[in-house]
Amino acid sequence: MLAAQGVSRRFGPRLALAPTSLEICSGDALALIGPNGAGKSTLLSILAGALDPSEGSVVIGASAPRLGWVPQRPALYGRLSARENLELFARLEDLGEAELAAERMLAAVELADGEGPAAELSVGNQQRLNLAIALLPAPDLLLLDEPTASLDPRQRRRLWELSGAVTKRGGAVVFATQNLEELERFASRVAVLLGGELIFDGTTAEFSASPESDVFA
Amino acid sequence: MRAVGLLLQKDLRVLGRSPLVVGAFVLYPLLVAVLVGLVVRYAAERPSVAFVDEDNLPRTLAVGGQRFDLGALIDQVSSQVDLVSLSHVEAEHRLRTGEVNAAIIVPPGFTAKLRSVASSPRLVLESSGAGLGGQVEQRVQALVYSLNLRLQKAYIASNLRYVQLLRTGGRGSFLGNEFDIVGLEKAGRILGLIQRQARDPVIAGEAKKLQTFVDQAQVALGQTGSSMRAVANPIRLETKSGSGRTWLLSAQVQAYALALALSFACVLIAAAAIAGERDENVLGRLARGLVRLGELVAEKITLVSLVAVVLGLVLAVVFGVAVQLGDVVGGEPWQRLPLLVLGLLLAGAAFGAFGVLVGVLARDGRTAALVAFFVALPLVLLGLVPSGSVPAAGWVSLAYPFVHAVRFFRSALYDLHPWATVARELGWLAVLALGFAAAARIGVRRLLT
Repeated sequence: MLAAQGVSRRFGPRLALAPTSLEICSGDALALIGPNGAGKSTLLSILAGALDPSEGSVVIGASAPRLGWVPQRPALYGRLSARENLELFARLEDLGEAELAAERMLAAVELADGEGPAAELSVGNQQRLNLAIALLPAPDLLLLDEPTASLDPRQRRRLWELSGAVTKRGGAVVFATQNLEELERFASRVAVLLGGELIFDGTTAEFSASPESDVFA
Repeated sequence: MRAVGLLLQKDLRVLGRSPLVVGAFVLYPLLVAVLVGLVVRYAAERPSVAFVDEDNLPRTLAVGGQRFDLGALIDQVSSQVDLVSLSHVEAEHRLRTGEVNAAIIVPPGFTAKLRSVASSPRLVLESSGAGLGGQVEQRVQALVYSLNLRLQKAYIASNLRYVQLLRTGGRGSFLGNEFDIVGLEKAGRILGLIQRQARDPVIAGEAKKLQTFVDQAQVALGQTGSSMRAVANPIRLETKSGSGRTWLLSAQVQAYALALALSFACVLIAAAAIAGERDENVLGRLARGLVRLGELVAEKITLVSLVAVVLGLVLAVVFGVAVQLGDVVGGEPWQRLPLLVLGLLLAGAAFGAFGVLVGVLARDGRTAALVAFFVALPLVLLGLVPSGSVPAAGWVSLAYPFVHAVRFFRSALYDLHPWATVARELGWLAVLALGFAAAARIGVRRLLT
């Protein structure tokens, strides 16, 4: 679906991500793990096309995947309501029936009250809206950056249901996490970043048997 | 372009939901415009001048038989400048420290010389040579000119009394000496009598010649008054006061108020709007294919242009109504509104592009607003400096839309033939808008990191 080929990123003199190659295939549920500052968010931003790599490139497969991106900090307009945010991004995605799409997503993430300013929503509800915006185009590839950090247990379950639906229909999910339980339950593949370098890429079983499994130790 | 329209709708909706912010953006620059106007006006019209009287001037002074009210004259000066009576030493000190802009010194013996009519008395003007010194000098020169005119009239009236004495005869005095004069009228009568009574035809003939001369002299002296006044004042300035615009409604103030309001409002809104996209963390979402970064820059500039048109039209309508209610003449605010819209659009685009550039350099919203204000303020003030006084200020201000906006608005609203100025300033505004927009487009990637 998508492949990062030798992508790296510098912020001034600091190397946030060393040259990294990573291929994402249909059906993947890829967990990106690593301690704070490992380069997970940078790699996800580059894969999402939100950040240009300093070197290397992101190659898209034969059929360009529809992409949904859930950044770590909610990316939404605080002075617009949840519904208005969804309608705006639906129109920007050129989805057609923007009002219906917004209604559908509000129901999917169980955000009943979509009328007040998004800035006045709780952190958890903002994260749900963040996810809803990413799910608007029915993505083939869903990129999630520590998505469960501010969600309650019920909403976490809902998130993984929605993510699982993407892989079930032949798409892929890449999620950054520091929660090993989530990795074990929802990932089929693991990539470990440390100090900006990709030090492991394999199945969850291979990860469990590898010395990189104690990356948080 | 569809994405630009969608984001524009979003920004207008957000602006509509922030009435306090919009109100501040409108009212604050207006307040600044009024304050700057007041400061400029006060500085221009009431410089502080020391008055040093070393001659103990009397309240009234008689010269050439006319009485001059010196007190009223000093009051007249006080209405034009802030006149402060000081000793010579104190005046010198305050002039050095800049507390007064100039000093008028009446030296000892001034009154005596004026009364004697033997030589011109001196009035000394000392100015700091900087700032408002030149203006004070011009005002005092105008005052001395006016005083000289009054004295001239007194001297002419005094001389005419002697001419009248020559014509009619009688008792006169000069430099303390009293004398009797026959006068031309009486001399003519005496010569007529001599002609009639003289038996010698030669004497009668000479008397007739003399009488002819006396008659001609009388006619000529009869014209002396108007001739002397004409020579003293070859050109007379007649001052008429009519119902022109008040200071507050003048073309200059309207143009400055429009440009000032736009300068601050547009730059601040543009800077805050582009940096706000980063603050809300949506730039990455937009930049991954939903909106091109160039479209984002164009959208913010379009937004600010629309704000400029609305704000400028509101101001123009307020001024127009005030002009109508005040029944003042001398402008075409209503007929020129369509032309004004064109200028507002381009000025808004130029200020907006500059604001977007500030926003992408400052990166976060609060910093962007603060930097926009700190950058816009000195650039606007540079535009207020008269172009001839500090050439460097003039050059720098050319690279900022403020002076071009002022020139455009002044010309578009009030010039009889505005087209050359309007075309030139529109060209300037367009070039500046494109230049700043290009720089902003290059820099906007900074917001993604």
